Amino acid sequence: MPTRPLAELRTQVGETRRTATDFTVERGKVAEFARAINDPADVYLDEDAARAAGYETIPAPPTFTRTAEFPRYVPDGEGFELGFDPARVVHGEQAYEYERPLYVGDTLTGDTTLTDLYQRDGRDGGTMTFAVLETVFTDEADEPVLTATGTSIETGRAISESDAATEGER
Amino acid sequence: MSTAYTVGETFTETIGPIDRADFVRYAGASGDFNRIHYDEPFVTDAGYDSVFGQGMFTAGVASGLVREVFGLHALTEYRTRFVAQVWPGDTLTTTVEIEAIEAGAEETSVEASVTVRNQDDESVMTGSVVAVR
Repeated sequence: MPTRPLAELRTQVGETRRTATDFTVERGKVAEFARAINDPADVYLDEDAARAAGYETIPAPPTFTRTAEFPRYVPDGEGFELGFDPARVVHGEQAYEYERPLYVGDTLTGDTTLTDLYQRDGRDGGTMTFAVLETVFTDEADEPVLTATGTSIETGRAISESDAATEGER
Repeated sequence: MSTAYTVGETFTETIGPIDRADFVRYAGASGDFNRIHYDEPFVTDAGYDSVFGQGMFTAGVASGLVREVFGLHALTEYRTRFVAQVWPGDTLTTTVEIEAIEAGAEETSVEASVTVRNQDDESVMTGSVVAVR
C-alpha cells in the first residue's frame, strides 16, 4: 500500500506539474540509449546517415523521453508524491503520441498531469494501486512534440506472472 | 515508410539471450535506477526470484523493429503494455503485424500490432503502432 491514504493521493488527480525543464536531447545520450535498447542504427549514431535517411539531424528513439527523469532535468519538489514502494512498483503500460520525430538539439519542457489514480484487488496479491501520468513535451517554440502516458502499479506483493497487466483491465 | 504493406504481413526480430548487463546498461542510459532491475539481494528480499528487466527496456527493444518497418517520420502512435516480466536468460522476439491500412486522398494510415514473446512463446509485451504517410 502507498505510504499515503488513497483519498489524499486522489486529491492530486487532474493536477498538472512541470516535471522536466531544459531537457536537451544530447547526441551522446541518444547514442548510449540506442545501444541500450539494442538498436544501434546508423541514424542514431551518425549525422550523415540520419540526413541520408531523410531526418533533419540525428533523431532520438521513440522511447527516449524516459531519460527526462534524470535529476538534472527534474525541477525540485515539483513532481507527484505517490508514496509508492519502489520494491513493489511495476510499469503496466506506456503510450506515446508523436507530432514529429524528436531530434538531437531539441530542448524540451515536460508538463505532467496525474490523470487517474485508483485501486483494485489483485488476484492474490493484495491491493494494487494504479497511477496514470500523462506528460506533454514541448519544444523551444512551445510546440508539442510528443505526449507520453504511463501507468505505474504498486503491487501488493512480488509478482512473477502477468497479474499486473490482467488485473489492470477496467 | 514504404506504401507496399499488406494486411497480415509480419516482420520479426530476435535478440538474446539477454542478461543482467542489458538491464544495467538500460538503467544507466535511461535513468531508471530502481534496484529491482539489478540488485539481486534487494529483489530476493522483496520476494522475487531474481532481478527482471525494465518494461521500458522491452518497449525500447521493440521500437527498433518499429523504426525499421515504418521510420520515425511516419510514427504517430506507439502503445505498449507489459504483460509479463523479462528475466535474465530470456530471448525476445518482436513481431510487427500489419492490421489495417486506410488509404486517404493525401495520406495513408497503417495500424499494426507489436508483440514481444520470450523463448517459451509467452507474450511479455503487447502493443500497437499507428503510422501515417
